[in-house]
Amino acid sequence: MFFRVMDQSRLPDLVRGLAEEFEVVGPVAKDDRYVFGRIEDPADLELHYDTTLLPPKKLFFPPEERMMRFRVADNEVVDDEVYAGPRVLFGVHPCDINGLLLMDNVFMGDFEDPYYKARRENTVIVGVSCTPTDTCFCNAWGTDEVHWGFDIFLTDLGDRYFVSVRSVLGAELLDRHVETREIGDADTEAFQSASRKFKGSFTEELDTSQLPLLLDAKFDSPMWDELGDRCLSCGACSTVCPTCYCFDVVDRLEPDQKTGMRERRWDSCQFVEFAAVAHGENFRVSRASRVKYRYYHKQWGYLSKFERVLCVGCGRCERACLAKISPREVVKALETGGVQ
Amino acid sequence: MGARVVVLGLASDFGCQVQLTNIEDHLLDVLGLIDLSYWQLASSGHMPDEYDVALVEGAVTTDEHVELLRKVRETAAVVIAIGSCAVTGGIPALAGTGDLEGRYEAVYGEGTDVARGRTRPVAVTSVIEVDYIVPGCPIDTGEFLKVLSRVLGGLSDKPSEQPMCFACKTRENVCFFEKGEMCLGVVTRSGCHARCISLGRPCTGCRGIAPEANLGAARDVFEQHGFETARSLHAMNLYNTNEEVAL
Repeated sequence: MFFRVMDQSRLPDLVRGLAEEFEVVGPVAKDDRYVFGRIEDPADLELHYDTTLLPPKKLFFPPEERMMRFRVADNEVVDDEVYAGPRVLFGVHPCDINGLLLMDNVFMGDFEDPYYKARRENTVIVGVSCTPTDTCFCNAWGTDEVHWGFDIFLTDLGDRYFVSVRSVLGAELLDRHVETREIGDADTEAFQSASRKFKGSFTEELDTSQLPLLLDAKFDSPMWDELGDRCLSCGACSTVCPTCYCFDVVDRLEPDQKTGMRERRWDSCQFVEFAAVAHGENFRVSRASRVKYRYYHKQWGYLSKFERVLCVGCGRCERACLAKISPREVVKALETGGVQ
Repeated sequence: MGARVVVLGLASDFGCQVQLTNIEDHLLDVLGLIDLSYWQLASSGHMPDEYDVALVEGAVTTDEHVELLRKVRETAAVVIAIGSCAVTGGIPALAGTGDLEGRYEAVYGEGTDVARGRTRPVAVTSVIEVDYIVPGCPIDTGEFLKVLSRVLGGLSDKPSEQPMCFACKTRENVCFFEKGEMCLGVVTRSGCHARCISLGRPCTGCRGIAPEANLGAARDVFEQHGFETARSLHAMNLYNTNEEVAL
C-alpha cells in the first residue's frame, strides 16, 4: 500500500476519467435516503451519505438473476453467460467493503460461484471514509477499519483526500486520471487526527466479548421467544444486510412453454419455507427459532468457520426493522438476560 | 389441442378478465397452448358442459353463484381463483360488513328486483376448494402466466406466504412508515414485486393477508407509528373482510 494526497476539487476529474473506462456506480440520493446507482455526472455522487438502502452486494449478487436458459424439447442449456461489464464501485464505506470480504468467503471460498466471481473480478472498489451515525456499530466488530478489499480508499481531510492505494490497477487508474501529490508530514498528521475523531464519534461501545459463549449459554433463554413474538417475519433484515447471502433457485417456463429459465433470488431465514424440506418437515417452524437462528448463524456459526462474525455493524437491519429488532439489542440482551 | 379452459366472472368489475387481454405480448402463445372454450367477457355462446380448467373471477353474492361454483368444482379438474374478489372477497365483501339489505336499497332503490337469492358476499375460496390462486386487484399478468404455466405443466404452485417488506426492500423503496404513512405491506402477501409502493402508493392489501404475517406484532407497529388499531383494521377491511383478522 502507498499513499497520495488529492485535492477535493480534483474529484470530478477522477470520476470522469474512470467513467471513460468503466461503468461508475456510487451513492446517489433517493428521496431523503441514498442508493448505489449509476453515476452519469460527478455532481450526482453523494460522498457524504450516511448509508444506502441496499448494500453493494446487489451489484455482485442481484436480488433476482437468471442463471441460464434451457430448451424444453431436448433439455439443453442455451445461454448461461454471466454479464459482468467492467465497473467501478465508487464511495464504499469500510463496513460495506468488509461486508464484501465476508461474502467472498462464501462465494469465492471452498465453492466458487461463477456469477458472483465474474462481477467481483470485474469491479474496481474505491472506498471513502465516513462519519458514524447513531445506528452504526462497526466499532464493535472492528469493521470500522479496512486494510484490503479496495483498490483506492479516500479519507476525507476536509479540503483534500488522503488516498490509500492498495492495488496496481488502483495506482494506474489514479495516475491516468487525476493529479495527486506526495504526502507530507502535515497530511499524515491530519490523517491520524481524522482517524482519532472517527473512532471517538461512535455513540456507544458495544461489549461483544464472550459472545459465542453467551450464545451457547442462552440457547434456551426466553429472550428468543420475546423477540419471536415481535418479529414480523418480513425478511427486511436479510434484504438490507450486506452479509446475508442465502438464495433460492427456481426453474420456470416461458409462456410458449418451449424455453425455460433458471433463476435465483434472495431468500431469508426468517421465512417459514426456508427450513422446509421434502416430506413436509420443517426445522424452524416457530418465529422465535428463526430469529434465534439468524443470530446463531451470524454471530456463532460463521465465526466458527471463518473467525469473523457475519455482521459489519452497518445498522441497516436496525433501521429497516419495523419491530426494531437489532443486533445491538440482542447483544445487550445476551449480556443482561432480557430484551427491552 | 390443449386443456379446455373456461373463464367465468361472478360479482366483480371484470377487471381481471380485462387484464387477461393485457397479456398482448404472450396472448397468442397462451392461446396456442389451450382450447379456450368459453370466456364470459368475450364469448357470446354458452358455457360448455365439459372443460378441464376453470378460471373464476369475482366474489360469491347469490345462491346461483354457489350452485354454479359447485358445478364448476365437479366438472373441472383444476379451478383457479383470480383476483382479490375471488381470493379474499375483495371489495364486494365490504358490502357484507354492515347492513347488506340497506346497502342494496341505497344503490338500487327500494323494492328493485336485483340479485335474487343474494347472500352475504364471500370469496370463491370460502365456498369451494380451489387448486391455484392468483391474488391481486387486478391480477398481475406476469404472475398469471407463471401460474398458468404451472397448471399446464401439471405442477403445483406455492404462493408466497410472507409479507411484502422483503420484496419492497429489494426495490429500494423508502418505507412509508418512515414518512409517517400507513402501509399494509407489512401484513400483505408478497408476489407483486411491491408494485404500488414502488410507484409511490402505500400497499392497500389487495393480495390478502400473508399467512405468515405476524398480526399481533403488526398491531404494535401500527400503534407505535400513531395508527390506532381501529384505523388499521378499517384500512385492512378494504380487501380483507373475509379474513379472520385478529389485530
